[in-house]
Amino acid sequence: MPTPAPTTSSTPRRAAVLGGNRIPFARQFGPYAEASNQDMLTAAIDGLVARYGLAGERLGEVVAGAVIKHSRDFNLARESVLGSALAPTTPAYDVQQACGTGLQAAILLANKIALGQVDSGLAGGVDTSSDAPITVSEKLRIKLLKVNRAKGAKNQLLALTGIRPTDFGIETPSNGEPRTGLSMGEHMAQTAKRWGITREAQDELAMTSHHNLAAAYDRGFQDDLVTSFRGLSRDQNLRPDSSMEKLATLKPAFGKGENATMTAGNSTPLTDGASVVLMGSEEWAAEHGLTVQAWFVDAETAAVDYVHGAEGLLMAPTYAVPRLLARQGLTLQDFDYYEIHEAFAATVLSTLKAWEDEDFCRDRLGLEAPLGSIDRSKLNVNGSSLAAGHPFAATGGRIVAALAKMLHEKGPGSRGLISICAAGGQGVVAILEGA
Amino acid sequence: MTFETLSHAPKLSRVFARAALSRSRTGDTLPDRALRLADQAIDRDHVASYQRLCGWDVNDVLPHTYPHVLGFPLQAALMGSPDFPLPLMGLVHVENVITVQRPLTADDRLGLTVHAERLAAHPKGRTVDLVTEVDVDGERVWEGRSTYLARGSGDPAAERGSQPPGIPTGFATAQWRLPADLGRRYAAVSGDVNPIHLSALTARAMGFPSAIAHGMWTYARTLSALGRAAQGPVTSHVWFRKPVLLPAAVDLVVDPEATPLVAGLRSTRTPEIEHLVLTLS
Repeated sequence: MPTPAPTTSSTPRRAAVLGGNRIPFARQFGPYAEASNQDMLTAAIDGLVARYGLAGERLGEVVAGAVIKHSRDFNLARESVLGSALAPTTPAYDVQQACGTGLQAAILLANKIALGQVDSGLAGGVDTSSDAPITVSEKLRIKLLKVNRAKGAKNQLLALTGIRPTDFGIETPSNGEPRTGLSMGEHMAQTAKRWGITREAQDELAMTSHHNLAAAYDRGFQDDLVTSFRGLSRDQNLRPDSSMEKLATLKPAFGKGENATMTAGNSTPLTDGASVVLMGSEEWAAEHGLTVQAWFVDAETAAVDYVHGAEGLLMAPTYAVPRLLARQGLTLQDFDYYEIHEAFAATVLSTLKAWEDEDFCRDRLGLEAPLGSIDRSKLNVNGSSLAAGHPFAATGGRIVAALAKMLHEKGPGSRGLISICAAGGQGVVAILEGA
Repeated sequence: MTFETLSHAPKLSRVFARAALSRSRTGDTLPDRALRLADQAIDRDHVASYQRLCGWDVNDVLPHTYPHVLGFPLQAALMGSPDFPLPLMGLVHVENVITVQRPLTADDRLGLTVHAERLAAHPKGRTVDLVTEVDVDGERVWEGRSTYLARGSGDPAAERGSQPPGIPTGFATAQWRLPADLGRRYAAVSGDVNPIHLSALTARAMGFPSAIAHGMWTYARTLSALGRAAQGPVTSHVWFRKPVLLPAAVDLVVDPEATPLVAGLRSTRTPEIEHLVLTLS
């Protein structure tokens, strides 16, 4: 019996991060108030296409998503491709994993590249908190569907008469957890209290984030990572002059009582923005004259039972990272850079504290010894979400592109760790290696 | 030719109101002056409204037809002035050519100059060209030529001007339902409050059975549907045929193989009714 020739290589190949692009992030109801998710994602794609000379190019795929989406945007990524300068023959699909969307998209693309199923692609995400979908009250929605189903004008009128003035109401999306009714901030406040995270430590992390991002802009680090959009050329939330004194004046926004520590200054604001990352095989990069910035080494996703109180909502990355380290035979200290998404300053601090805690690492993570501390000077060195803002699905792309560039500057073999927490008690983490 | 620089764009509702009240126009000469607006900053929210209404993505690149909207108040002011030989009210936009030398962005500050030329006899009356030129830092970046017809006792022997290629046949590339209030919505964005576009009642007063879509909207919508082909430095040439009576359903037909590319809009229900033919090169 003849053996069929293998169509794909049996051993996975390396997936390369070749570059990225995003539009500056804007505050809710700011300069992007009139822009839709599709407008922003298309702008981010077009900026990348222009930078890397990919106009008219057919890529293997574009994978992207948005956390808050109109039902009409069911094919958001594909519609954005059709509006972009990429070849219209580039396939695309949507994914959604809350704030992990952007990184999960990159994982999916990296895996397909590794398996030889595609040679190139874009992974990204976009979110608007301004152009939000509005839904009618559940009562009204059910009655309107009944009107729609009714056959004939008479029956439709009859169904219409069933609608009462009290049925009217509009609902906008909220960032509350469906199963607990608590906002993400309230959940985080519980975790911050459990880990004894102080107000001062949170404010310091927030201030550092602003200073680091401002410095990154000033030395031109962002020049080939960002293209301006609707008059904005830097992240609108960025406050280069952020100080402990100013942050100390803010009143707590989450948690209750005198011990409440979380303010608008050390929590991410609602923002609008989009980001994409260009990835490909080594051969595809060479054919297109593109430099490999970093290798997408491995990734892990974890989830925790936050509903019944076993774990904090945003603590899943603390579980994902040790699993990833074990698989790669690495320790937490084996990295040159750590990118821990700053959903809240307290999220980063609770995560770090958990990894240092002997009981937590033994009882929850099943480790013989704690993961230990990290060198804080390697953490979010070019700023993170507290300064840039956090348009949910766009954060993963922002981090992957920036970290890949940092690792390329650091040199071959340098390592970076990404950790992103997500609603629903999930966490997505990944390792990149400099090229 | 003399240049008259205005401090701000003339208000179109006022220009149209004055034109409606003025006596009929005669004469064989066009005003020998150009109207100019200098150093015009772009209002991003206005661009976004225009992009949304005409089917473009909202971004920082000015759509191919957008500078026409900025120059139109100057066109109307010139055509509404007492020394203009044709009446502004009732002019029919029959043809338009736009050349984009380089893509414009919302960061550019535009100089706009409008003058009239080529007053010509036509089998159905007389035509005139209004030329809009846009410059940035002294460099010409965009040029538009709008041909208007004043219906009247024409010269049967006169040439009809340039003739369009045939409208593409075959399946519709897209099908659009144009709502009854489209004219009002485009008027709100463009400022073109010509009564023939606003409502059935005001259109009937001008001799149309119902409100008609702005030609510039159908032109812009067709270009936005052509995507990348209509972006960057290209020249578009449009011939407006039968008006689109609102509300309407129209088919977009495209022949991408033709050089230059040819697109057309026709009635969905009565495909023989052609609304516009457009070439892109």
